[in-house]
Amino acid sequence: MIPGAWLCLAAPLAGALAITLAGTRISRRTAGWLSTLSVFVAFAGAVWSFFALRANESHETHLSTAWTWLQSGGFKAGLEIAVDPLSTMMMLIVSGVGGLIVLYSIGYMDGDDEERRYFAYMSFFVFSMLMLVQGGNLLLLLVGWGLVGLSSYLLIGFWHERPSAVAAAKKAFVMNAIGDATMALSFFVLIAHSNSLEFSTSFATAGHLSSTTVTLVALGLLGGAAAKSAQVPLHTWLPDAMEGPTPVSALIHAATMVTAGVYLIARTHPIFEQARTVQLVAAGMGTLTLLVAGLIALVQVDIKRVIAYSTMSQIGYMFLAVGIGTYANGMFHLMTHAFFKALLFLAAGVAIHALSDEQDIRRMRGLGTALPWTRWAFLAGALALVGTPPFAGFFSKDPIIAAALHAHWYGVILGVAALIGSFLTGLYTFRLYFIVFGRAKAVPGTPLRGEPGTSQAPVHLHDGHEGPKTMLVPVAVLAVLSIFGGWIQFAPFWTPLTRWLEPVARTLPIAEPTDTGEAIASILAVALGLAGIAVAWAVYGQARVAVPRLPSLQRALEHKLYFDEVYDAVFYRPAVALAVWLRRDIEEPVILAAGPDLGETAFDTGRGLRRLQNGLLRTYVFFLGSGLAVLAVVFLIVR
Amino acid sequence: MPAPGAGMSGPGIPWYLGISGFLFGIGALGVLVRRNPLIVLLSLEIMLNGGNLALIAFSRHARNGAGQIFALSVMAVAAAEVCVGLGLVVAIHRRNLALDVDRLSELRG
Repeated sequence: MIPGAWLCLAAPLAGALAITLAGTRISRRTAGWLSTLSVFVAFAGAVWSFFALRANESHETHLSTAWTWLQSGGFKAGLEIAVDPLSTMMMLIVSGVGGLIVLYSIGYMDGDDEERRYFAYMSFFVFSMLMLVQGGNLLLLLVGWGLVGLSSYLLIGFWHERPSAVAAAKKAFVMNAIGDATMALSFFVLIAHSNSLEFSTSFATAGHLSSTTVTLVALGLLGGAAAKSAQVPLHTWLPDAMEGPTPVSALIHAATMVTAGVYLIARTHPIFEQARTVQLVAAGMGTLTLLVAGLIALVQVDIKRVIAYSTMSQIGYMFLAVGIGTYANGMFHLMTHAFFKALLFLAAGVAIHALSDEQDIRRMRGLGTALPWTRWAFLAGALALVGTPPFAGFFSKDPIIAAALHAHWYGVILGVAALIGSFLTGLYTFRLYFIVFGRAKAVPGTPLRGEPGTSQAPVHLHDGHEGPKTMLVPVAVLAVLSIFGGWIQFAPFWTPLTRWLEPVARTLPIAEPTDTGEAIASILAVALGLAGIAVAWAVYGQARVAVPRLPSLQRALEHKLYFDEVYDAVFYRPAVALAVWLRRDIEEPVILAAGPDLGETAFDTGRGLRRLQNGLLRTYVFFLGSGLAVLAVVFLIVR
Repeated sequence: MPAPGAGMSGPGIPWYLGISGFLFGIGALGVLVRRNPLIVLLSLEIMLNGGNLALIAFSRHARNGAGQIFALSVMAVAAAEVCVGLGLVVAIHRRNLALDVDRLSELRG
């Protein structure tokens, strides 16, 4: 299983390097295919390790060290990878879904200026994520963590001539850096106590630490997870990250990046279990996020932003799952979410592509007739997102809600909130679907500013079909996965995934609901999801029921609940005010007034010293030589 | 061939060091006073060879091969350095600039 895992890790890196080194010697299209090939080779490696691990009797963690990377005192960290059920599952998701998205990019990015750079970044992004999930100790996990942040920065800001894209990339990087810092701090605490960042040693040490220390460590890890996974309050980068090309959004949301937080908590769950409060905070954070994101998604008008908020909300479900301790269900939802979220983004990408980069849903109407296949694919993804049986989301989301409802009074609150989230999911998803793909009619009450009525944007179909095959094949594959991908586990009837993950992340007993509980939660969740769809149909579909208008609430949601404004007021403005105050009240009256000639003296000194730099080689050599001679004499005398 | 150091005849180490210092001085003087970059490069080589001679002499004196290896690396680095230097000279010539190190003094304050 080990060679497969190394192959999986090395292939995308090799792809990225090859594209970078080849430069203009290969055509843009070749770069695309090379990148796709490298990621699919990684997928083959992942499949290899999966079957090898399955054939193996013990599903324990297998470590393989290439070389000792860092050694300092008693601390030692190797370049080592871990192959176990958890990492294998992530490897399959990352490389499989990632490969489909890179393949799709060949069609989507066709004709862009810097395709080679794009594909090199894409391969590198997949490599970073594989590094994160395969890292055999916490240090390498942090390496992957940082590389993922770097690659997301590069790709979100890919269109670097757009100031908004550059700003979004910076924002993503800075928000993630906060999480990286808290994570690094908690690693320092671990090193101080156990002198190791090996998984097994660290987890064993966590049991002996004082409760304050272990809470601090877990809080640091949670900070990292929340920043990477865009959970409230560190979520504001995710919607802005839609500035990148659509396949990049798909890659960030489905295969890489945002799922890292869920993986981190599942991976380090022994630490979180020692700090149960922090774990419950994670669950609460997830629940808050899923409600906030669901509400904001209701009023967004950019097709990609709606899907972005739905990602935040779904990651919220995963945080809820790992927070209450049903790790397998969280990972299962991560997997099905990767399928249907990639599908939604790629289908939206087909629409955006056909409309020549139009993303405003108020200008997209009646695309259902122009893009029939995309419409059905999007519908499959939407139904899976809402959790309608028998689509993938149904199998993975409902056990999370059931487990939450089973876990004490706290869990019941979270479970009820998650049920409300189901309703919101149905509402915002099908609002999007009915507006974009429904019948071409003007929506009441939302005229575009500055334009009389709504004009339908022209649909430019490429050669009379919906796009090149490289775009349609991944969409089709993902549609099939979104429909059937959830069937591998149907709690409580068959649970192969839970058993597969058991050696690494055993579900806490508190989060094991009864069969009746599962059934009740499922029925409630499905009913609420369908209710959401029905309301969306009534308002945005055929029926056009007039909505009661709540202007203040709508305004608040359109401003994304003022998170950006609050951060601006709390962090940015005080910093600027402090700087202005320092300049006006400290620098000018105190420092400049201290000596009126302070500046002049500095200038004069500089002018005098400038003469030494006469640009003549011989002078420099002379000074060098005489300096050496003086030093030699001094040392001889001193000795 | 006699074993290194065994029955060493010929001049003692001060002679070698003297010549080495002499070579180094010639080179340094050349770097300081000559204005043609080609000659400056040549003088640099002489300085390096002065150093090499000292290294080899000490290596022989201490009966230790390390100094000779050192001298070999110095030669390799010197070769690389001359490549860069000659490349610069050719580039200067192509742009019809004067081959005079004193005239190439844009990097002044």
